[in-house]
This record gives sequence, structure tokens and C-alpha cells, in this order.
Amino acid sequence: MEKYEKLEKVGEGTYGKVYKAKDKSSGQLVALKKTRLEMDEEGVPPTALREVSLLQMLSQSLYVVRLLCVEHADNRKDASKPPKPVLYLVFEYLDTDLKKFIDSHRKGPNPRPLSPNLVRSFLYQLCKGVAHCHSHGVLHRDLKPQNLLLDQERGILKIADLGLGRAFTVPLKSYTHEIVTLWYRAPEVLLGSTHYSTGVDMWSVGCIFAEMVRRQALFPGDSEFQQLLHIFRLLGTPSEKQWPGVSSLRDWHVYPQWEPQNLARAVPSLGADGVDLLLKMLKYDPAERISAKAALEHPYFDSLDKSQF
Amino acid sequence: MEFDHENPLTDSDDLYSDSVASLFLVESDHMPSENYFSSLQAGDFDVLVRREAIASISQFSCNFDPLMSYLAVNYLDRFLSSHGILQPKQWVIKLLAISCVSLAAKMKKTEFSLSDFQGEGGIIFDTQTIGRMEGLILGALKWRMRSITPFSFIPFFISLFKLQDPPLWQALKARALDIIFKSQTDINFLVYKPSVIAASALLCASHELFPLQCPCFRKALSNCTYVNKEKMAQCYNAMETVLLEEYEPLSDVVSSSVTPVNVLDQRFSSSESGNYNTNGTTITTLRVERDIKRRKINHYYDNPAVHVSQITQF
Repeated sequence: MEKYEKLEKVGEGTYGKVYKAKDKSSGQLVALKKTRLEMDEEGVPPTALREVSLLQMLSQSLYVVRLLCVEHADNRKDASKPPKPVLYLVFEYLDTDLKKFIDSHRKGPNPRPLSPNLVRSFLYQLCKGVAHCHSHGVLHRDLKPQNLLLDQERGILKIADLGLGRAFTVPLKSYTHEIVTLWYRAPEVLLGSTHYSTGVDMWSVGCIFAEMVRRQALFPGDSEFQQLLHIFRLLGTPSEKQWPGVSSLRDWHVYPQWEPQNLARAVPSLGADGVDLLLKMLKYDPAERISAKAALEHPYFDSLDKSQF
Repeated sequence: MEFDHENPLTDSDDLYSDSVASLFLVESDHMPSENYFSSLQAGDFDVLVRREAIASISQFSCNFDPLMSYLAVNYLDRFLSSHGILQPKQWVIKLLAISCVSLAAKMKKTEFSLSDFQGEGGIIFDTQTIGRMEGLILGALKWRMRSITPFSFIPFFISLFKLQDPPLWQALKARALDIIFKSQTDINFLVYKPSVIAASALLCASHELFPLQCPCFRKALSNCTYVNKEKMAQCYNAMETVLLEEYEPLSDVVSSSVTPVNVLDQRFSSSESGNYNTNGTTITTLRVERDIKRRKINHYYDNPAVHVSQITQF
């Protein structure tokens, strides 16, 4: 770890602290992420080995933040005990994320909408990255604008903070007790479904799509219950007919019966193709929700020059 | 998530998706460098180190899934390729071998205790030493431990053959896997990409098992845009040569006991096998010998016990 000079803490990732750091020899900026994966008596723990190598494989995609290397560092808290090396993941460093980018378009000296072409391009890249993860059997489970890093110069969007299996666990409560945002969470997760699949990420993609267009969150709930009410008020309270099995989900209650609103009014600047794609991403029944791969073929992207991706 | 050789990337069944394309795209990251091959070719001494390490790996992993030892040897080659050949000390080679096996076992979620091997060969390592060696290997391999191997391509290639009958493709696959296992120890195959080895092994297997369909399979593989045809032909020829050599002595036994073959054919097969080329002129004369071989193989595969021992023998 002496190779790196820690510059500043850039965030509390869902899984631990993240530092901006500089590679002393090359001057390259990196993001250092300390994990809770420790080396034990039997060498590298098998779970860490399998998951980090999976992350390594996923980061081959241009649309996933690149894992540059893995370092171990001694973490001697208690001098009387032998040191336990901790694994640090070293990622490429990008200086902004989609949340900051949207904020800068809403507030600040020059508030303005994101250009429709940029929204289209970012959404396409997001779907590419999500399709890549899903084709490797990996769910992100916590997609949100803060986790989408931007290379502004090249106009590239990259997925970060991929949580994998047990070593990282589902981020219901964050490591640092920071409040985990619920805004992008799929209704089946909010309703306590345990067998969720790739649809959870597509729901988040839909929420992020709407947020890029609106410059504010689509469903800004502050508790799981409030989050559900936000969703139901816009999309209507889901019925068994719409979503078979919904009323048997663990946390289902009787809710006020809302009628679906016109989604186009929530995203007034979005054209008909865009609204159609958004509707397909926000289907209640996870089985009906559009897949990332199918989304890439949606007419909304017809006007995009796909050869650049 | 457990590492699956046939499916290093994905748990989806969609063989035609982008994931197949990405297999071909990144396979070279999972093989040793060309320099490694030339340095092995140049010096006998390096070959001996590799051979000894492979022998240790086989010894350590003989009671497990043969795919585990395949993976361990892949780590070994990639480590030696990036790190350079180690000091030719026995304990160093053993330590490297045991650490490769340990990493492969962890990736395959195999129950494996390092203490199982302690004392074998008279060398005992403490777990910390093995842990440090594991760290060294992981660094050299950049944590790319989900190796893309020839096995990763087998399901995709078989799907191109459009074989309806499960026993057919199962037999084809079993024989191809067998050939892939055999080819790993031979340094001449280190230059070929995993996909090329997989395609060639399938062709060799189909040549033995279903010679009539073979041209069809060859065409299907050649039409696949990801496969370099020239490399495939080269690799295929090299494999055929190795396989013929392997069968020579056995075919004497078979011919004398099971199938009467005239002396002329015997002479033909042995004289032609050495300079067998792509040009097809020798194919007719070899056909007789192939038939013998095929009968023998059918005989082999009627007996699963022989099959298993063949694999583990490797």
C-alpha cells in the first residue's frame, strides 16, 4: 500500500470507505476501496477469491469501472495479535458521478436540462453495462446515480460499486450506518420478495432514466413504506391481475387504491419512444419488465449512433 | 458464485449472446505469453521444471475433479510465463504446485485441506507460506482466476453442430474433453488459444467417432467468425499427430485380437502418420486405420471405468 498516497476520502461506498489516491510511481489517480475481506490462516479466503475474480472479469467492460489491481495491506489494530492483511481494491478514478452531474444541471449558476442526446447516450451505456453484468450472472442490486461514474471528456458512463455475493451482502443497512437510499429500489424488494432477479436492476435503470430527464428523483421516499406509496401513487396500486403473486409477498399490506397516472406527465420533455421504454422498465411484474439486452434494441435508441459503443 | 469451467462468465443459457463474443475477446488474457512457449522450446531445463510442477499438481489433485488440475496447470503456466522460471529447487516447485492446486480448489469450491498433502514427498509447508505464495500467484495473474479454458467453448461449438441426439453430442464432448486434457501437458499446444484447442479437439473427436459428419462440423466451425481457420487447421494437425502416435502401439493389440487387418494397411498407417498434412492426399489411406481406431474407441467408451481412469491418468 506504500505505493499509493491517500489524497482524500471521496465517499462512504456501500461496502466501506473509498479514498482518492495517487500511484506514487506513475502519478495515476486511483480510487482505493478498503474491503472487509481479510486473509486468514488458509490463505486467501475462497469467497474473496471467487468474488474479486468475478469483479475483475466484469470490469473488462468499458461500461464498468475498471479494477486495476488488488493489494493487501496489514491491518494491525491490536499490537498483541498477528496482523491480518486486508484486501484493498484499486479502481480507476473518475472525478464525477451522475448525481453530481444532474445536480449541476438543476442548481448552480447555469441550470438547464440535460440534452436529450446525452440522456439517450448515458442510458444506452447504462443498459450496456447492466446487460454485461447480467450476462455474467451478476446483479448490481444498488444502482443509483451516485454509483454511475462519468468520464465527462469522453462522454462515458461506467457502473461502479458492484456488490457481489456473501462477502459484500445486500446493502439493506450500510456498513457505516449511513442511510441507504431507497429511491431506486424495485417494488418486489420493498415488499420483501427474496427471489428477486435481474428485474431489480432494470427498475433502478428506469428510475435513473426518469431522473435524468426530470433532474429530480421520480420516487423520493424516505422509508420503505413511503417509497411504496410514491410508486403506487404514480403507477397505480398493483393488483393480482397486473402482478400475479403480489399480495402474497411477505411485506404486502392493504394499501389505498390509486389509479395509474399518465407517466408521460412525470417526464414532460421525453418523447413517445422514451416514455414507452420507461413504461417497460417500470412494469410491476418483474417477469414482464424489459431486460437490459432487449432495451438496447428499443426504438428509443434508433437515433443513436450505436457504432461508437 | 462457484466457478464453472464451461461457463466462466455466465449462468445464462443464452449461448449466442454477447457473452460468447466476450469469451473470444478476452481469452488471450488467460493464456501464457508467446515468449513462454519459445523459452520452453529453447531450453530443456525449463521444460523439466514445468514437467515436475505438473507432476506434483497431478499428484496433489489426483483424487479430485480433473478440471481442478487443469485449472491449476493453467495458473502454473500463466504464473511461470509472467514471473519467469523459478529456481529449480524442489521445494520451490512443490510450493508453487500446491499453491496452484489450493487456488484452483477454492475457485471450484472443492473441499480441500492443505494438511492432506503435507508430508508427501517429504516437504512440509506451513499454511502462511502457502498463503504468501497464493498472493504472489494472484498478483502475477492479476486476479484473473476465472480462466477461460478450452472447456469454456465446448458448449458453444457443440451447439453449432446442431446434434439432436444427446448420446451423440455427449460422446463427442467426452472424447473432446479427453483430448483437451491430454494436450495440456504438451508444450506445443501452449501457443494456441483456448478456443482453437477446443475447436480442434472437437474435430479430432468427430473424426474418430463420426467421420461422415466431420466435414460438416469442420464447416460449421470455419463459418464461425471468431475462429481463426488457419490456426485451427494447424492445431488440428498437431493433435492428430499426437493422437496417432498414442494409438500406434495399441492398434497392434487391437488388430491382433479383435480385428484382422492386413499387413499392408498397418504399414501404411505407420508410414503416413508422421507426415500427415492438411492436403487430404493421405486421408484415403488413413481411413482404414481410422476405422480400426473408431472401433477401438467405441469399445473404450462402452466402458465408463476406462474412460474415467483415462482422464485421471492424465
